[in-house]
Amino acid sequence: MDYILDLGAVTRNMDQLWQGLGVTLLLTLAANAIGIVAGFGLALLVLNRLAIIRIPAMLFVEFFRCTPALIQIVWFFYCVPMLFNVFLDPITMGILALGLNLTAFNAEAYRAAIQGVPREHLDAGIALGLSPAQRILNIVLPQALRNSVPVLLTNGIGIFQQSALVAIVGVADLMYQGKTLATETYRPIETFTVVALIYLAISFPVSQFVGWLERRRGYAVR
Amino acid sequence: MTMTLDFAILPRFADALALGLWTTLKLTALCIILGVGLGFLIGLARSSRSALIRAIAGTFVEFFRGTPVLIQLFWIFFCLPLILGVELSNFVSATIALTLYMGAISSETFRSSLKAVGAEQMDACIALGLPRRAQILNVILPQAVLRAIPTLLSNCISLFKESALVSAVGMADLMFIGQNISNNTARPVEVLTAVALIYFTIAFPLTRAVTLIEKRMLRKLAA
Repeated sequence: MDYILDLGAVTRNMDQLWQGLGVTLLLTLAANAIGIVAGFGLALLVLNRLAIIRIPAMLFVEFFRCTPALIQIVWFFYCVPMLFNVFLDPITMGILALGLNLTAFNAEAYRAAIQGVPREHLDAGIALGLSPAQRILNIVLPQALRNSVPVLLTNGIGIFQQSALVAIVGVADLMYQGKTLATETYRPIETFTVVALIYLAISFPVSQFVGWLERRRGYAVR
Repeated sequence: MTMTLDFAILPRFADALALGLWTTLKLTALCIILGVGLGFLIGLARSSRSALIRAIAGTFVEFFRGTPVLIQLFWIFFCLPLILGVELSNFVSATIALTLYMGAISSETFRSSLKAVGAEQMDACIALGLPRRAQILNVILPQAVLRAIPTLLSNCISLFKESALVSAVGMADLMFIGQNISNNTARPVEVLTAVALIYFTIAFPLTRAVTLIEKRMLRKLAA
């Protein structure tokens, strides 16, 4: 190997990577805020008795789950401005594109969790004279939220990793800064390895936490 | 709305898109075959008696599941040739990256399905005095594979979707050709929508099939 490793090229430019990480974290957190709230609403629509509400909601979910995230993002960046004549800054666009994707995946998680809420609990709510809105807010939501936490967290890290795709449409996230730095310094090995380790350092603890949560829950059920 | 949509331009590009789709499907199929094999081996390694082998396999899996596939692909495309000192075509880099990704996620599938094959099966093998090879090939493997099938199929669909990333290293898959046509014709809405629908038409029936197989398998295993 003729290539001599020189981490200095990366450590001298860490500011650029931290800046990118800031954007990546902003994208991830904002997309999760959208996905956690809107996902629950969408799950309620998917479970609606009226076909005219249920079918479009299901189509939305399936569309996002059955196409590559890359085409969703590229589509969003190219087509939304043309179709709707709205021009937002790239970070907002990235947040919306990732947020919609996560909404679809979280809706599936919520749907499973809502269907797991025992029927008797709802009957009890009716017997107590709670309104439909009260039943959803005070009986279904707390239980569904609790039961879906592991999957929501897994999806949340998933979107953290998928957020790297916005680099392809030019949003200056960690991936994009890494790619730029690798090209500028001619140090791809050092740069890409450090960038990969930064991603790993964030998603690994979260995935370990999810594993711990699931094991603990497994014991609790037993 | 400032533009008029003209979906009539699409048939002109049908051949090019079909070629891209063919590349996507070939790459996906190749990486499924290689990745499932690799995943099975890693799955076995993770339940090895040697702590060293377990640690290596575990680190490999965590690394590939904990980082974006895009950076894995870039690493292999840009860094591996420097380390090995040989040029790698984008097809080879893409195949390596997607195979490693498929191997990492499938090893988790195999690991949990191996765990689901009860310890008493292993005890029975020992009681019968079966050699280690027969224990794995004839007793554990068939049961583990059966349980793993639904999740493996979902992994295949994930791989099919992730394969769109190879467009970022210039491989002429469906995504790449779609983006090219979209840029050249300045008609992103029509072209990108069509490309998304092509992906959807393939992935959606497969997800339905997985759900059906899963239900049938659960009934079979419960019986």
